[in-house]
Amino acid sequence: MGNGIKEVREGIHDGFPIFIGYFTTALAFGLLTRTSGFTFVEGVLVSITNFAGSGQFLMMNLYNAGTFLLGIAISVFFINSRYIFMAASLSGKLRNPSSVPGRIMTGFGTTDEVFAVASFKGVKLPYTYMAGLIFTSYAGWVSGTAVGYVAGTFLPDVVQKAAVITVYAMFASLLGGEVRKNVKALLTASVSALINTILILVIGVSTGLSFLISLIAATIFGAVIYTDKEAGIE
Amino acid sequence: MNKLVLILTCSAVTLLPRIIPYFASSYLKKLPGFIRKCMLLLPVASLGALIFPLALTDFGPLWIAGLVGVTTAFLTSFFRGPMILAIVIALLSTTGMLMAMGA
Repeated sequence: MGNGIKEVREGIHDGFPIFIGYFTTALAFGLLTRTSGFTFVEGVLVSITNFAGSGQFLMMNLYNAGTFLLGIAISVFFINSRYIFMAASLSGKLRNPSSVPGRIMTGFGTTDEVFAVASFKGVKLPYTYMAGLIFTSYAGWVSGTAVGYVAGTFLPDVVQKAAVITVYAMFASLLGGEVRKNVKALLTASVSALINTILILVIGVSTGLSFLISLIAATIFGAVIYTDKEAGIE
Repeated sequence: MNKLVLILTCSAVTLLPRIIPYFASSYLKKLPGFIRKCMLLLPVASLGALIFPLALTDFGPLWIAGLVGVTTAFLTSFFRGPMILAIVIALLSTTGMLMAMGA
């Protein structure tokens, strides 16, 4: 029991940077739902039931453009298709993969940020830890949406802009730790960074498709250059 | 369009791709060795695309502020600094750059 509480607290601790990043991003989302004609309950319900940054913004933009429901559903599924790979990868790191409620909770909370933090934890993950991590992130996302609906993006412009860096800094920090252990991590991440940048900025591919292509290409590249031992296969 | 139908449809196409793989792990174990190796390397492969180019383009013409933020965070952790320190340093350096550039 004492161990469980310690793991929950560790999850909350690791989720804190995600909370900051999600809260500030969700302010803009909450405001967007209001200006799109959603009621407060409807706006907050989007974040409660979806818990997805890019997918929710895409949904609102398409809704405002008058897209049909099926078109919105297909587009949102497409931008979320990367989660199939992330969830499959993270499922191998759970300490107790057979718990049904544990898997549903972890699946519900498998966002880009939760996935990244949990993946580099370096231990088999108990659901107590995942609960702390996911709940903290979720609280930031939902409360940010509610506050943003009511108050808009009330933070001073420079604070709002700077807060954007929180989540990217978290990813860069995770990468720094991995590169210290093995410089091949820098090569592997550079492949996805390069492909994603070219696809989005030069070729103009949508971010969902671009991310998926970059992820798959860099993963295969990594699997080729890492030895089995370096990858963690005994 | 009924907003509740819209919201719940999007919820389904968001959550199902996330949840279903956790119920396919017995199949995942039977995949060829190379695919399982890919699953282990997917997290590090994802980091590059999670950072670039959005960490720069989110700042528009002031993209250099984003670049300074992610670079300082990377270096802090590379030299064994804890993540929270990396984030604080990134926040300070990005804010500093934004103010210096007149944001």
